[in-house]
Amino acid sequence: MPLPHPNGPLAGYRVLDFADEKGQLCTRLLAELGADVIKVEPREGDPTRHNGPFFRGEAGPNTSLYWWAMNAGKRSVTCELRLEPGRELARKLAAQADVVVETFPPGRAAEMGLDYRTLSSLNPGVIVVSVTNFGQTGPYRNMLATDIVGSAMGGHMHLNGDPEHGPVRTTAPQAYAQVNAQAAVGATVALYARGVNGGIGQHVDVSMQEAMANAMDNAQQTWDIRQINISGPGIRRNVAGIQGPRYLYETADGWVTCLQIGGLQGLQANVAIDWLAEQGEAGDLDSPEWRTKLSALMPLEEGERTLVEETLARFCRSRKKEELVAEAQRRGFGWAPVFGPREIVESKQLGARDFWVWVRHEDLGESFLYPGPAFRFSETPAMHRGRAPHIGEHNAQVYGELLDLDAADLRRLKMRLVL
Amino acid sequence: MTPPKRNQTLEKPFRGLRVADMAWVGVGPTVSKYLADHGAEVIRVESSTYPEALRRVGPFVDDEPGIDRSGYYANFNSSKLGMSVNLKHPRGPELVKRLVAECDVVTESFTPGTLARFGLDYEQLRQVRPDLLMISMPLYGQTGPWASYMGYGHVLQAASGYNHLTGWPDGPPIGTGIAYTDFLVPHFAAVALIAALDYRRRTGKGQYLDFGQMEAAIHGLGTAILDWTANGHEQSRMGNRDPEAAPHGCYRCKDGKYVVIACFTEKDWERFKAALGRPEWCDLERMRRRWQRLNEQKEIDWHLSMYCAEMRSSTVFRVMQEFGVPCGIVRSPEALQNDPQMRHRKHYWMLKHPVMGDRTYDSPSFKLSKTPAELTKAAPLLGEDNEYVYRDLIGLSEEEFISLLADGAFE
Repeated sequence: MPLPHPNGPLAGYRVLDFADEKGQLCTRLLAELGADVIKVEPREGDPTRHNGPFFRGEAGPNTSLYWWAMNAGKRSVTCELRLEPGRELARKLAAQADVVVETFPPGRAAEMGLDYRTLSSLNPGVIVVSVTNFGQTGPYRNMLATDIVGSAMGGHMHLNGDPEHGPVRTTAPQAYAQVNAQAAVGATVALYARGVNGGIGQHVDVSMQEAMANAMDNAQQTWDIRQINISGPGIRRNVAGIQGPRYLYETADGWVTCLQIGGLQGLQANVAIDWLAEQGEAGDLDSPEWRTKLSALMPLEEGERTLVEETLARFCRSRKKEELVAEAQRRGFGWAPVFGPREIVESKQLGARDFWVWVRHEDLGESFLYPGPAFRFSETPAMHRGRAPHIGEHNAQVYGELLDLDAADLRRLKMRLVL
Repeated sequence: MTPPKRNQTLEKPFRGLRVADMAWVGVGPTVSKYLADHGAEVIRVESSTYPEALRRVGPFVDDEPGIDRSGYYANFNSSKLGMSVNLKHPRGPELVKRLVAECDVVTESFTPGTLARFGLDYEQLRQVRPDLLMISMPLYGQTGPWASYMGYGHVLQAASGYNHLTGWPDGPPIGTGIAYTDFLVPHFAAVALIAALDYRRRTGKGQYLDFGQMEAAIHGLGTAILDWTANGHEQSRMGNRDPEAAPHGCYRCKDGKYVVIACFTEKDWERFKAALGRPEWCDLERMRRRWQRLNEQKEIDWHLSMYCAEMRSSTVFRVMQEFGVPCGIVRSPEALQNDPQMRHRKHYWMLKHPVMGDRTYDSPSFKLSKTPAELTKAAPLLGEDNEYVYRDLIGLSEEEFISLLADGAFE
C-alpha cells in the first residue's frame, strides 16, 4: 500500500525516482500532492544519504538531513542497476509507473535500457523526466556540474554579489532548487497532456542551466533593450540596470529590507517623511523642498541620496526590525525583516497558518519539525507523508504489490546481489 | 492501446482551457505563462487606471517609458491575450464575473480580501462557474497576522531566508541582487495548479488554492530549516564556499570574467590536481582528505586565485572539464544569450511585438518531446483583445460595448 494520502490531487499516480540532487525535491513535491513515489536505491543506499549536515553531526545512512528533507514521504526499494537483472527489475517497475524521474548523465539511461524509448515500448503511457546539468543534447551535454556551476552557467551568480567581491552563490543550493521545481512543472504538464491525448506519455528533457537562466529577473531584457549587463548590487538594488539606492538597513536586532529607501523616495514619500517626523527623526527631509523632490521622483544627486539613506539608516538602527516592519506595513510600505532559519521557524505568520508539521522518526524515538506542504487546496488537501525511508524499507511491500514477488523471490534476488 | 509513433505530435496539453489571469507582477504571470505557452487561452485582466506594476518598470524600449514598452512585463506574458476593465466602474465587477463564467481557471495575487470587496472571491465566482479552479497567491497567504502585508520578491527573499543565506560571512545579508522569490515560487504554484487541473479533468471538480509565496520559498532552503529544528544549528551565508566541498569557490580570471570550481569527492580532487599539473601544494599532507582541505580553504583559494588570474576563463573551463572537474563560467546576461548550449536549446525566443519590435523571451527549462511549449505571440498590449473578450466571449451588443467604452468601464 502506498503511504496514506487519500485526497491529494495526484493520488493514484505512481512515480519512480532514480534521481540525485537534481530530482529528489521534484518527486517529493509530487508525493505531497498525493503520488506514490518509489525511490530506487543501490544496495548500499543512495549516495545522497552521505550528504551533510547530519543529525547530531553523526554520519550514517539514516541521519542525513539532506536525505530527510528531500525524500520525506517516499517509499524505498533497492535495485542494483549495475547488474542486468537489476535493470530488468527496474524496467518492470517502470512498466507500472506513470512518471519516471531520472538524473543519469545523457546517454547512460539508454545504455542501461532505462531510457524513454525502451520504457515507452513497455509502457506507452510512461512519462520520463530526465533532469541533467545542461540538457540531453547540445555541445555542453556532457559537462560536469554541481549547484555552483549551475548557478554560474545559468547567469544567476552574475546578478548576485557586490562590486568589491564579485559574484556570490546563495549558500542554500538554488540551481538544484530551481531545476527540481521546474522539473515538477514539466512532469505535471506531461501528465495533463497524457490525459487529453489518449494516454500517450512522452519524454521531458530538463536543463539545470536553463532553469537557473529562468531566474534572471529582467536582466535578459535589460541586455536585449539597453545593452547593460546587470551585476551584483550588494546592499543596493539595480534600477533598469543601474545601481540604485540602498535597500538593506541595520536595526537594533538585525536587518530590514525596503525598496525606494523605505518609501522616502516615491509617490508615498510624504507619508514616510511624516512617520519619521512624528518621531522627530526626519531631519532636513521635513521641508517643502525635500517633500516635493522625493515625491515627484526627481533624480537625486549622489550626496542627496546619501543623506536620505543615512536618515533612514539612523531611524532603523535604534529600533527592532519586526516593530519597524509592522509600522511600515501599517503605513502602506512593503518592508520585510531579514529572517534566519530560527526566526522563520518562530514566525508568527507561519505559526498562525499551521505551516509546520511534526514528523515522527520512530527509529530515533523522536519527532522533528518540518516545513509543511506549500499548497493548500480546498478539495484535495496536500499533506506531509512521514519521514524519508530507510534503505530498501519497502522492498517486500513494493515488489510484492507491483511485481507479485514473494519472500523466496526476494531472497533469491538478494543472493544474486540485485536487492 | 496502440503504441505511439516516435516523436508523434499530439494536441497541446491545455488547448481548450481558458484562464482569467488577474494576477500581476512576477509570480502570477509566470504561472499562467506556463499554461499559455502550452496551449491555454490566457486572458490578462488589467486596468489602465491601475496599471500592472511591471508595465511601469523598465527596461523600456528606446528608454522611453510607456504602458506597452516594458521588456520586464513582456517576458512574463508571452502567448497571452489582454483585456482591460475598471473594477471601480459600477459595471466592472459584473463584466469580470461574466468573463469568469466562460473560464476554467482564475489566477490572482491581490492582497487578501481585495477581490471579495468587488464580489469576485471564489465563493462568489463559483456561483457563475461551479467547476472553477482558482488560485490566490499573495506573499503570505490568505490568513495570519501578515496576510495584508505588501511587498515584492526583493523583500520576500529577506523574510524567507535568502538574504540571511546570501553574502559573505563577515558582511551584511545582501541577498540575491534580484526579486528572487518571484522566480522560484511560481514553479511551486504552477505544480499545484496543474495537479488540481488534472484532478478536475478526471473528476469534473474545481477548487480553491490558498497559496502563500513565503511557504513555497522556504522549500528552496535545502537543509537550513531541519538543521535548526533537529540540530539547533543555524546555517548562514558562506560567500562561495560550501560546508562539504573544498575547493569550492569563484575566481577572477585574466579576462576579467569569473569561473567557479567545485570538488566534492576525492575523485574530483584527484582530477583537479591532475588538471593543475600536480603543483606541490596539492600534495601536502594537510591537503590529503576532504575534511582536511575544508580547514585549508584560505590557502586553496589563494592558490586558485593566482592560477586563474593567469588564465582566460574559457581556458580554465575547458581544462577543468577535460579533466573531469565540475567548473563553469559566471555567465553575464550578454554571454548567456550567446552561450552555445543555450542557443542549441533554443531557450530564448524572439517574438515580434507591435510596439517593442523583436524581443527576447524566456521559455521553459523543460522540453516535452511531443507537446513542446510554443510561445505563440508577444505580450499583449493593454486591452488589446477587448473586442474579442467583450463581444465574442461575454456577448455584449455593439451598442453596449460602445457605451461602456465611452463610460470608462474598460479603463
